[in-house]
Amino acid sequence: MTAMTAQAPPSEDAGLQITDLTIAFGGNTAVDGVSLTAPRHRITGLIGPNGAGKTTTFNACSGLLRPGRGSVHLFGRDVTARGPASRARLGLGRTFQRMELFDSLTVERNVALGLEARLAGSHPLKQLLSPRPDRTAVRAATEESLELCGLGGRRHDPAGALPTGQRRLVDLARVLTGGFDLLLLDEPSSGLDTSETRRFGAIVANVVAERGCGVLLVEHDMSLVMSICEHLYVLDFGRLVFEGSPEGVRGSEAVRAAYLGSEAA
Amino acid sequence: MTDILPFLIIGLTTGSIYGLAAMGLVLTYKTSGIFNFAHGAIAALAAYAFYDLHAMRGLPWPLALLLAAGVLPALLAVLLERMARRLADATVTMKIVATVGLQLAITGALLAHYGAAGLPFPDFLPVATVTVVGLHLGLDQLISAGIAAAAAVAFFLFFRLSRLGVRMRAVVGDPDLLELAGTSAVAIRSWSWLIGSWFAAVSGILLAPQIGLDALLLTLLVVQAYGAAAIGLFSSLPLTYAGGLVIGVLTALATSLVAGSEALAGLPPALPFLVLFLVLLVAGRRLVEVGSHRPAPPSAPLLRPRASRVLAVAALAVAATVPLFAGARLPVYANALVFLLIFASLHLLVRVSGQVSLAHAGLVAVGAAAFSHLAVGTGLPWLLAVLLAGAVAVPVGAAVAVPAIRLSGLFLALGTFGFGLLLERVMYRSEFMFGTTGTLPAPRPEALSSDTAFYYVLLAFAACGMVLIALITRSRLGRLLRAMADSPTTLSTLGLGINVTRVTVFCLSAFIAGVAGALYASTGQSATGAPFTAYASLTWLAVLVLFSPARSAAPVLAALLVTVVPAYGAGDAAVDWMPVVFGLGAMLVALHQSAADRAAPGNAATGNTGRARERIGAASAAQERLHRTANRAAVAAAPTGDRLRITAGDGEGTER
Repeated sequence: MTAMTAQAPPSEDAGLQITDLTIAFGGNTAVDGVSLTAPRHRITGLIGPNGAGKTTTFNACSGLLRPGRGSVHLFGRDVTARGPASRARLGLGRTFQRMELFDSLTVERNVALGLEARLAGSHPLKQLLSPRPDRTAVRAATEESLELCGLGGRRHDPAGALPTGQRRLVDLARVLTGGFDLLLLDEPSSGLDTSETRRFGAIVANVVAERGCGVLLVEHDMSLVMSICEHLYVLDFGRLVFEGSPEGVRGSEAVRAAYLGSEAA
Repeated sequence: MTDILPFLIIGLTTGSIYGLAAMGLVLTYKTSGIFNFAHGAIAALAAYAFYDLHAMRGLPWPLALLLAAGVLPALLAVLLERMARRLADATVTMKIVATVGLQLAITGALLAHYGAAGLPFPDFLPVATVTVVGLHLGLDQLISAGIAAAAAVAFFLFFRLSRLGVRMRAVVGDPDLLELAGTSAVAIRSWSWLIGSWFAAVSGILLAPQIGLDALLLTLLVVQAYGAAAIGLFSSLPLTYAGGLVIGVLTALATSLVAGSEALAGLPPALPFLVLFLVLLVAGRRLVEVGSHRPAPPSAPLLRPRASRVLAVAALAVAATVPLFAGARLPVYANALVFLLIFASLHLLVRVSGQVSLAHAGLVAVGAAAFSHLAVGTGLPWLLAVLLAGAVAVPVGAAVAVPAIRLSGLFLALGTFGFGLLLERVMYRSEFMFGTTGTLPAPRPEALSSDTAFYYVLLAFAACGMVLIALITRSRLGRLLRAMADSPTTLSTLGLGINVTRVTVFCLSAFIAGVAGALYASTGQSATGAPFTAYASLTWLAVLVLFSPARSAAPVLAALLVTVVPAYGAGDAAVDWMPVVFGLGAMLVALHQSAADRAAPGNAATGNTGRARERIGAASAAQERLHRTANRAAVAAAPTGDRLRITAGDGEGTER
């Protein structure tokens, strides 16, 4: 087991920081004392075998699950007790492994809602009416995202009718429209072929370089992880078993054991 | 203590029957994912069938009982099982409307055929009185309670000991196991529907001697089973039976407590709904719905925006000429305009935001009562009173929306149904609403009080209401609502406070419904809650869904159907049978719609069922555990995709 680096105190630059996160379902501890940091300007990877607790960690980060123990800080603020909408308004966006698109709406509407939902927030009047500056901002952000993800030609198609590869891109475009400072991407490559995956990776790397946002990526596809992540965390049975560079992961016995089972190590 | 004892025993005897009915309801819900709103109607149908065969046709009672409680429910069970299978992953609204439609059809047919007046039910059980520890008890009541208890015990034994029962129990415990059970799925479902329908039928026949043969009352009395099912959290069968006993005892005790108080007289019969509402509110997110629903599929508009605008203007023009030809039927058309507003406000909730509310009639009634208090009691100008009546309905709408924050889909529908019934039973006759007489005066505006002038006032309101709803649908809120119908979780992770959205749409809908209530009262020049029962809420939903293929024109057609069509009907008989047509029509639309959705290419390609099941937060802790354990076992036991993938990754790494 690799020694864990000490967690820095919560700060503005640290982006997303989770400390000593523990989540149990019934008697089963899905995530056990996990601490990790996903700062701005960096793509951080979170990998591990099925059932290691990656998605559970993600859900705790975005506020869909309340941790039993531990805390979540976003840009230096403690958001552990806040709901998903409030975290999103602080700058945390996410995609879903299952691409939770608004299937009955067009691609363009889906993408536009990335910003519109955030602008509407929790104020009844703002939810009812959109002022002109909002509309202009939403239109501009939507166009930019559609362009970035190459979805311009599909803008009028209903999202429910798209193939998986395009759905992934709509999910990504939607979260990019929101202008979030930190993105949680949940297994974006599942269901994509090699060239689609490569393209997806390129878009994400490009956005991080241009906008300076941070990304926390949960991923199975090791080629994608190795090519775009600068820093990796490896989870197994709810515990962090490795933290370090992609090169370090390749040489780690602990990671090999986690994936192949301890008898193989 | 001796004062309470008789009520306790009465409570236990009726409670035992409620418990039996509720167990049937929960069993079918847990195995099929369809909550049977027609459960009470099956009870009523069986009771009437027994009456018909035994009292009218003179069959010996054991044979009549066999046919009414054994054969007839079995036939219905076959129908319900097929229906449930077709609805397996329909939208929530369609799942609800299908059985609501069946209920309306059965109850409507009973009312039309046997009349609305209660009939004396033949005493087929011995009616002698026995004295137990100083209490006089009807032998028939004791036997009824005994039969219900024996059926419950027999069912528990079957559930514990027989092979089928054990498999059924596994499915009730974790409905997802049904898929793992493979070929026996159909058998388990069929048996569940059979047992569920038998329990409903038996409880109907046992309850009828106590309350008389009244189709509406029987349908709604077995609805008491909802309360019992809620106590069992729609999941545990023994707790559900216990819930039936609790409801029976509470109702009996409440009856003894409020005896003599006019104001509280409505409380005891409303108690089960209070229990239902409170349990849903408190248990909230702990209630996990069975099965999966697909979100509403994309529905292309029938007409281009421009064409529909032209059509709307044309409709307005036709409506403006109605006083020229309507003659004595003008009040009917006036009512149609009021109902247009009612259906439009319901449409906003059900179609635009995908939330099913069964308390809508209550909101209309609140508007009607508030209008009378404001216009007559306080003497406010007419227009101000109408608008304020709408405003009064808003907080009530917000209260209905409270369950919407914590509940969704089916449980929201049940919660609002409970709320609507509570409002009707407890509040309608209170001084806050229509008072003990049930009727209040309601004026028309002085300058425009003639039928023709007032018709144009209503037309102006209806047009404004439709424009308002069109604006809301096109506003940011409309876009958010449509997205929310697909995936509320995603919207909240994008930063939207979805609880605010839900409450906002309920408030807007309540405002329009409240204004409609005020206008209804003003049209008839008296405010009464009589037409605005919880049963009306069910009917409206069914009628609206019946016309759902007409998209945004549905409220117009629905309003015409419930007001104008009966006025031109061939005779009373035809009008009596109309609810049956509504009910069956709504049921067929729901079934047809879900079949059409399944055939839609987008849905098949993306596997909505699986997505919905794995939707964040939808998986129960137990399922999560199961998946984790299975995954671990798979990782340990055999080479998996993950293992292959990481080795592939390593390979790439070394090559570089």
